[in-house]
Amino acid sequence: MTEFFQEFQRKFIQDFIDDSRYLYLLRGLGNTLIITFFALLIGVALGFLIAIVRATHDKHGTLKILNVVCKIFLTVWRGTPVVVQLMIMYYIVLVSMSNKIVVAAVAFGLNSAAYVAEIVRSGIMSIDEGQFEAGRSLGLTYGKTMRLIILPQAFKNVLPALANEFITLLKETSVSGYIAMPDLTKGGDIIRSVTYDPYLPLFGVAIIYLVLVMILTAGVHKLEARLRTNER
Amino acid sequence: MSDSQALIEVRNLHKHFGDVEVLNGISTQIAKGEVVAIIGPSGCGKSTFLRSLNLLEEPTSGQITFEGTDITDKSVDINKMRQKIGMVFQQFNLFPNYTVRENIMLAPVQTKQMDKEEAAKCADELLERVGLSEKADVYPAMLSGGQKQRIAIARALAMNPDVMLFDEPTSALDPEMVGEVLELMKGLAQDGMTMVVVTHEMGFAREVASRVMFINEGQIQEENTPEEFFANPKNPRLCDFLSKVL
Repeated sequence: MTEFFQEFQRKFIQDFIDDSRYLYLLRGLGNTLIITFFALLIGVALGFLIAIVRATHDKHGTLKILNVVCKIFLTVWRGTPVVVQLMIMYYIVLVSMSNKIVVAAVAFGLNSAAYVAEIVRSGIMSIDEGQFEAGRSLGLTYGKTMRLIILPQAFKNVLPALANEFITLLKETSVSGYIAMPDLTKGGDIIRSVTYDPYLPLFGVAIIYLVLVMILTAGVHKLEARLRTNER
Repeated sequence: MSDSQALIEVRNLHKHFGDVEVLNGISTQIAKGEVVAIIGPSGCGKSTFLRSLNLLEEPTSGQITFEGTDITDKSVDINKMRQKIGMVFQQFNLFPNYTVRENIMLAPVQTKQMDKEEAAKCADELLERVGLSEKADVYPAMLSGGQKQRIAIARALAMNPDVMLFDEPTSALDPEMVGEVLELMKGLAQDGMTMVVVTHEMGFAREVASRVMFINEGQIQEENTPEEFFANPKNPRLCDFLSKVL
């Protein structure tokens, strides 16, 4: 037993302490968080926009051309692997962009937008048409009715599904290594390739992801509880 | 009744849903202060007609003039028009994400008719009028059907409309709650509010309306003062209808 702990301690020091190797994980974690954060912003902003266009078209038959553009976007981005999208972004579309964080954030953001869009659209469509009519009958514009009445209710309804998407997004950024982006996963892999110990670096990375997801989940639960005050 | 006095004037209104003709040439005038009750069998087009008056349904053809403005004209700002046309729905349609007071304040504030302080004061006055002052800070989910409908009426009144449209306001209520809503509407009528009410409450039509309109197969088949309308119905379909509901 003591042998096991001695071995563990030796490997721990070798994997994380020697040559300050923990910095691979720390910097990687930083990059993962930055990429996820900006991808989230892009995904939510673009996703809501697409959802509004699509829902407006479905309900009122307007915005025909924009709707077609959105549908093509959804088909292509949901129909191809995110790793392929990431590499196309890095080697072709944004080839002149030297900042890999930007490339990754854009690639993951666009991908996430496609999923967020359909989640939010389902939320908008789930709101009773009477809510919309009540807003319009009071003289509110289409935009204000959407923003003040429909979207807050839709957001509340789809929050669990959105949380799912954000968790997926956070973990999906682990393929950033494909464009040699030193994210959390890549950091662990670098340590493994230097120390030839796969156990601690990879389990360490896994535990960090797990903790991040648990924090995110707890935050969403809090938000859900707060939004549910109007049901009581 | 001359044109200049009519608050709402409807000319040859048609509405099709695909091949189905719901409104088949409706023409009428509604004067200021009138209370018009619209009755008719289900699917006759009475709700569609009412919803056309604020363009929640866009007519296929025909004209609707409100205070001298043809609201079917595409260049008219319909949002401005709707601010003067209150509407109350069968299903209340209160906004569940806002408190009762916020429900009432929302439209006046967002259309810049009042600032927040004025709107809050107006909301509290309206809540007192509908007898629900103590509910100001609760969410609609906490209210009974009758209370919801009274709040919905208060919400429409907050915009200080020139006419109120009621689309079967008591049809979704438990029987014991119908009375409180009808009482409120009666009070409104007595205060001189112009009202157009689609209803199945014959008692209300008889007692409160200044004119009763029978719509069937997308047309106004008979209209008259309530006394004449109920005592001497002429249209055979109306006679049949009244014999079933009275």
